[in-house]
Amino acid sequence: MLVVPRRASLIGWVGSTDHKRIGVRVATYAFGFFLLSGAFALVMRTELARPGLQVVSENTYNELFTMHGSGMFFLVMAPLALALGMYFVPLQIGASDIAWPRLALIGDWLIPLGGVTMFSGFLTDHGAAKAGWTAFAPLSDIDRSPGYGMDLWIFGGLLATAGVLLLAISVLTTIVRFRAPGMTMLRLPVFTWSMVATCLLVITSFPALIVALSLLFVDRHFSGVYEGASGPVLYQHLFWFYGHPVVYVIFFPFIGAVAEVVAVFSRRRFFGYHALVLSLLVFAALSMSVWAHHMFATGRVTNQYFALTSTILLVPAGVEYFDLIGTMIGGSILLSSAMLFAVGFIVLFLIGGLTGIIVASPPLDYHVHDTYFVVGHFHYTIFAGSLFGFFAAVYYWYPKVTGRMLRERLGKLQFVLYFLGANLTFFPMLVSGYEGMPRRVADYENIHDLSLMNMLSTIGAFTIALGTLVFLWNLRVSSRKPVPAGNDPWQGHTLEWWTTSPPPPHNFDSLPPVRSYSPLYDRRLGES
Amino acid sequence: MAGALAIADTRSQFTDLFSVYQWLTVVVAGIVFGLVLFALVRYRRRGNEYPRGKDKHTVAESIYALVLTAIAITLVTLTFRTEDKTDAVAANGGVRVDIVAFQWQWRFGYPDYGKTVLGTTEHVPTMVLPVGTVVRFDGISRDVIHSFWVPAARFKRDEFPKRHTKFDLRFDRVGTYIGRCAEFCGLRHTNMDFYVRVVPRDAFQRWVKS
Ligand SMILES: [Cu+2]
Ligand SMILES: [Cu+2]
Repeated sequence: MLVVPRRASLIGWVGSTDHKRIGVRVATYAFGFFLLSGAFALVMRTELARPGLQVVSENTYNELFTMHGSGMFFLVMAPLALALGMYFVPLQIGASDIAWPRLALIGDWLIPLGGVTMFSGFLTDHGAAKAGWTAFAPLSDIDRSPGYGMDLWIFGGLLATAGVLLLAISVLTTIVRFRAPGMTMLRLPVFTWSMVATCLLVITSFPALIVALSLLFVDRHFSGVYEGASGPVLYQHLFWFYGHPVVYVIFFPFIGAVAEVVAVFSRRRFFGYHALVLSLLVFAALSMSVWAHHMFATGRVTNQYFALTSTILLVPAGVEYFDLIGTMIGGSILLSSAMLFAVGFIVLFLIGGLTGIIVASPPLDYHVHDTYFVVGHFHYTIFAGSLFGFFAAVYYWYPKVTGRMLRERLGKLQFVLYFLGANLTFFPMLVSGYEGMPRRVADYENIHDLSLMNMLSTIGAFTIALGTLVFLWNLRVSSRKPVPAGNDPWQGHTLEWWTTSPPPPHNFDSLPPVRSYSPLYDRRLGES
Repeated sequence: MAGALAIADTRSQFTDLFSVYQWLTVVVAGIVFGLVLFALVRYRRRGNEYPRGKDKHTVAESIYALVLTAIAITLVTLTFRTEDKTDAVAANGGVRVDIVAFQWQWRFGYPDYGKTVLGTTEHVPTMVLPVGTVVRFDGISRDVIHSFWVPAARFKRDEFPKRHTKFDLRFDRVGTYIGRCAEFCGLRHTNMDFYVRVVPRDAFQRWVKS
């Protein structure tokens, strides 16, 4: 990603409604926010390396974790998920354009506008928001969180959320209306199906956050919406009605991309296609009914209902694993950088998923809720899962987007650093949380092994940072000394590999017949 | 006071259930890692071959999905059984303790004895409790949401403003345990600690009267 066409005029680039430019733009600034929010994490890890306060004040620390989490959810992972869909869905379904291009363009620019708004809180008197990315009432009210930082956070969150919502409307409508002849719904590539599930979740859940944050603004400045005895729980319901589905919004596209990568680099049609499609839809439907598993410790929700729906999610998740591994077994596997990241996703997301089954049990969650155990759990899903999936997608699709290859050696080096770094950072968190370390603290006492665990996490975080530098270096090397990619460097299965790299503005000069969910694979089998 | 009340020690409840989940986690992770490793080694691309295998196996996958469902139902059943005990509230009796959480301290009151423990910046508050006895907690917050967490008891419960949170606990082992506020509650959240000191019953009686 991070490619600005050299000679294109700035206005043309900024205002283009070409879905490929929208996709690249969204991915580019989302990656920028990733570097910024990631840098915040490094400062936090430096502070936590040893007990005591050494680097930042408690006040600054609270700003850092608030903006780290907000940035990663609102401005990095959700936009990256939609950016992939924006770019590749039309190509995969043989469309020349997207539906509602101007709406998508507005969505595209709302996201960085939201990001700048949110981070500009650092320039105000009271500093940036510091009520956590969840901004629970009444901590986020005007008395406990005075100053414009909190308001800028609200507006930033609203803008970015609305932006992602508009992108999702455009992508879903494109899938419904713009499919090429022969591309029936049950011939959609698996990545495109994952975007169907993603967009459905965005459209059903993101409005809840827009309501929650709008009411929070009203609460702060006009009347105390969340002031009553039930107000704090009301806010949590609204927030998690968005907050749980969003973690699948930032999961589905990446497992979809991983599925494509696994199939192509195993040289097999994706195994169990119909089961995967069904599991994605079941997953999406169920994930609308689990939100209050974040509220077990409140004692104010029907824990058993939410424990049931949350635990049963292991069924569709298990089916997806069956299909991924089923594709690899009996295949002809090439361990490219993309495939390494895909395998990393499969292995590490599992740890996130299994610890997720643990926190879905209320009596177990009573202990580990709001501790580093949960922090470790969801970083295994979001970083070691989804972001690994994103990098699998980057190594796989970068040649299509730019017409140039990334360097495989640097890719593998990045993978090794990421794999080691992720485990070194997040596994000790599972231990430290279990041993009694709450989340969102700038300091801790050295009881049990907390000092050791935190030091390991810090070393791991810097290993990840090194891996990120290797990736940036890879981008630089690949654009300095370009290696042309050709149309189809990986012998892909889906239509995006039929056209040129990068694709022309109208995407396709011709289309092959579509008779399955892997039309180019069909052709290759026919030839051989 | 303990008598026939069904209030159990939360730590042992937690440990029993957690060990089931932990065992399952290790087995599943072992199987998946093993299969991935097997696939990578056994099916590594050597020549330029194009494998031809089945694209699906509906029967195997359906049976597998049923097995997964059975596992989920088993876990949920075990969880419900444990939660019934963890969340149980005694019919009567027990030592009553009122918790008041506020930014960024705790106040523990013993309404039956007219005794109060208040934390200050210099002094971490200590809640003294009799061993093996039902303790009936009634908590409230004076400002934002806090959470009463005793890691050694493997239990926490949020404290809300304007609404009482009630729960029963029993501590079966004498000792001093750290407690913390687990819900982020603003600037000095990090420092919102307390102690729970579990003592023999006669020692507790002496302490409340002191
Ligand atoms: Cu959730
Ligand atoms: Cu607190």
